[in-house]
Amino acid sequence: MSLPSNDVDTNTSPDANVNTDANVNTDADATTGYSRRSLLAASATGLSVAASGCIDRVQSVVDSDAAEQVSLSILSLPAADGDRETAEITRHLEANLEAVGIDATISTRSESEFLEAILIDHDFDLYVGRHPADFDPDFLYETLHSTYEYDQGWQNPFGFTDTLTIDRLLERQRTETGADRERTIATLLEGIAQEKPFEPICVSNEYRAVRTDRFDGWDENYLTTGNGYLGLESDASSDTEQLHALVTDQRLAQTFNPLSPTTHEQRVIVDLLYDSLAVPTWSVPDEAEATDEETRAGEEVIDAANVSIEPWLATDWEWDAQNRTMTVDIREDCTFHDHTDDGTDADGGDANGSESGIPLTAEDVAFTYRFLADTTYGRAASASPAPRYQGHVSAVDSVTVEDEYRFTISFSTDRAVAERALTVPILPAGPDSPWITHLESSVESADDDLSPTQGDWSIVRSNHAPPTGSGPYKYDSHDAGTSVTLTRFEDHFTLRDDDHDLPAPTADELHFEVDPGTSSSVERVANGDADITTTQLDTYALESTIDDDAVSFVESPSWSFYHIGFNTRSMPCGNTHFRRAVSQLVDKQWVAEEVFAAEDSARPVATPVAEEWVPDSLAWDDGELVTTFEGEDGELNVDAARELFASNFEYDDGALVW
Amino acid sequence: MLVQVLTQVAFVVALALVLSLAVFVGRERLASLRTEWRPRLRQSAPAFALLAAILGLNRIMRQDGYEISQAYGVHMTEVFYSLEGDFVLLFRSIATPEVTTFFSVAYVYVYAFVLIFPIVAYVTLSNTVVLRQLLTAYSLNYVIGLAFYLLVIAYGPRNVMIEGMDATHLYYANPEYIHLTTEVNQNRNVFPSLHTSLSATVAIFAYMTRDQYRAWFPVAVGLATSVIISTMYLGIHWAIDVVAGLVLAAVCVVLAKHLVGRWSLSTAVERVRAAGRGETASGPEPDREQGEDGV
Repeated sequence: MSLPSNDVDTNTSPDANVNTDANVNTDADATTGYSRRSLLAASATGLSVAASGCIDRVQSVVDSDAAEQVSLSILSLPAADGDRETAEITRHLEANLEAVGIDATISTRSESEFLEAILIDHDFDLYVGRHPADFDPDFLYETLHSTYEYDQGWQNPFGFTDTLTIDRLLERQRTETGADRERTIATLLEGIAQEKPFEPICVSNEYRAVRTDRFDGWDENYLTTGNGYLGLESDASSDTEQLHALVTDQRLAQTFNPLSPTTHEQRVIVDLLYDSLAVPTWSVPDEAEATDEETRAGEEVIDAANVSIEPWLATDWEWDAQNRTMTVDIREDCTFHDHTDDGTDADGGDANGSESGIPLTAEDVAFTYRFLADTTYGRAASASPAPRYQGHVSAVDSVTVEDEYRFTISFSTDRAVAERALTVPILPAGPDSPWITHLESSVESADDDLSPTQGDWSIVRSNHAPPTGSGPYKYDSHDAGTSVTLTRFEDHFTLRDDDHDLPAPTADELHFEVDPGTSSSVERVANGDADITTTQLDTYALESTIDDDAVSFVESPSWSFYHIGFNTRSMPCGNTHFRRAVSQLVDKQWVAEEVFAAEDSARPVATPVAEEWVPDSLAWDDGELVTTFEGEDGELNVDAARELFASNFEYDDGALVW
Repeated sequence: MLVQVLTQVAFVVALALVLSLAVFVGRERLASLRTEWRPRLRQSAPAFALLAAILGLNRIMRQDGYEISQAYGVHMTEVFYSLEGDFVLLFRSIATPEVTTFFSVAYVYVYAFVLIFPIVAYVTLSNTVVLRQLLTAYSLNYVIGLAFYLLVIAYGPRNVMIEGMDATHLYYANPEYIHLTTEVNQNRNVFPSLHTSLSATVAIFAYMTRDQYRAWFPVAVGLATSVIISTMYLGIHWAIDVVAGLVLAAVCVVLAKHLVGRWSLSTAVERVRAAGRGETASGPEPDREQGEDGV
């Protein structure tokens, strides 16, 4: 039995491929006064403190019984009816874990159970899946900061804590700008690559099948968001009242709660139902500017440099001199969707009428940020942050309402991070707000004090149909688990105002229907039965040929990365050495080439951020800190791989034991 | 799309029924239906009603059972996979496009035919006991299968190791069938295989009635075998599901033979009538079966 010694030394770590030494000695950061050496040293200290606690735990298990084989359960998704690439990466990992003497099993779960186990129950050893990520590396704050260690939801599902190094860097990058921030993020990414709370595998483009004979103008950049469904060109000669879209997650047609953490791919529908103050906007570089290589790989648009936050519901904003407080004006006379007339108002005249709708004012904005930070709105003893958007709202210090359509919002962060906070959906305040109503009844029915489970209580779990937002489309009806229909919100400002060049809703109705999966979805688009596959396709579909000029596959850039997530709360995945060794069992290059069927559809990565932010040390091709596969062409070099584990764990008769 | 596929299946099965009735059942027995279909159906009405009720329940539970299985179900995918590993990938060695087409047809068309043909064939027997036993066995298959579906959550091999079965996969070869199969089955309901248990049930009944339908017995065994192999070839079921399906079939046949006649409504009515006329009630029907119908 050999366990990680208390004196954890990153420089003599077993994975010889990770050459920390070179980096530590060369790169001192003069401007900030921090050297990477000191940061990494701090990291090692933090690690040894963390590891010593674990040793006690492991030791007691070992003492009580003879050594046992290390066993791991890998959480994954169904291959044929879910995410084929995830399932295949899982099989690759499972086979290699078995090869090094670990008893590995694959636990196949539906999307929502998968997310439930990881985000709510924290009941997993490790998983393979996609992380939504974001254009700005600040998404790492909510993903890894120790303040979220015990939270449920999208914040820190790994239970990762490194208060001395990673936390400080996560905080520091929020207040910096320009080159300073770039340097801090480089150091942060290097620290994460050492600690490996998760191991990024590859970034894949998203693919969708679309028909262009009824609706055209599909913009590849926006199909990952609700904006992709706006500003379309409809063909006047055909019947274009209803746009028919296909999704795979049944929950999309069941729950309409924008805060629900376990609804996969709900982004498009949330974007359409709710307005936000601002939206991420891509600027596509001129074709002439992009190099041939970039164009071929479809890489140029993935760059974070091409994304900016542009006003949507806000008309304008102004920063103060310190870049900490922003004064925002929002569009006047916008209203939330009114569902009260539904059913009684047959002619539909007033259903959308601005006179009956609840006006959207600065009060609603203030409510939204406070509510997301504490879903009990101060009614419980301790705050209960929403299971989504914590990275966004944690940047906000306060919102002060100036008048009906103007407020000031002050941030604890610098502009880049702060502007990202403007992208949350605006929820209604007011006495008719479904959130307030739910809260009131929860307080009433609570026996004494309201003490909801953060991230898992009724207000963030319940279906909330009909959903009340102010977005370009309004909820119309749904058939649970089968379909949901949205209708154009005639009073939306994009249709009403002409002082903007924002995309407005085109189709009268959007009909999202649940379809079993890639092959049948493609078939239905090809048959003319649907206009778009909203859920991204498995890449094997791109190999199919469709004999119809009106059907095409659209490639969209994505930040979303496939990764192995470790539950660092328990052993053996709580051990850094173990996580590093496991990371060397996945051949990312092979995965990107073989698992992702279409050429150049995926690229292997060593770090989870957009290319713009990748430091040289973590560049896939020649970065000195890149973790490499222990083998070649997908074939594991079993003896060498076992050596990785042998330096910190023991083998007994071929089985890795502890 | 679903309607299209359904129509196609209905058409093909109807055609096959007509042909096979001519071949296996013969003119004489069919002719007897003209006068006797009414009393025969009346006698078997309770068994038909039971089956209809259970199919209705089955349908409701498949839709609403999700929450029940969420609460009480046990995830077994990993257990099955670790027990049998890559066994079903063995069928890859015989995979060609033609074989895939053959098994896709077996899985969809042959299966539907295998279930429906014996019902019609047994209606033409003068003694309805076999028909009632068959219908009861179908019902039992569904009831017991449904109970397992609520308690055992398991994905089939195609959802774990798809990379090994591209060529053999039903959905890639014939994506239109996916609508049909999702309509009748949830993808997490694989244990036991009802395709296996119902086909095997039909084969066992074919054995029991081999004296009446000599030619049908070997054909039924052949068809049932191809349906059963198709479930593994297409990656829909684990070998464990198939074994469980075979056991379930045997259990259902034994149970059906015990139950039918014992609590038969029509015999009870007959008994009452017979008693009214002062005659001795007729003995249990299976005793009469061979003598009357073994022409």
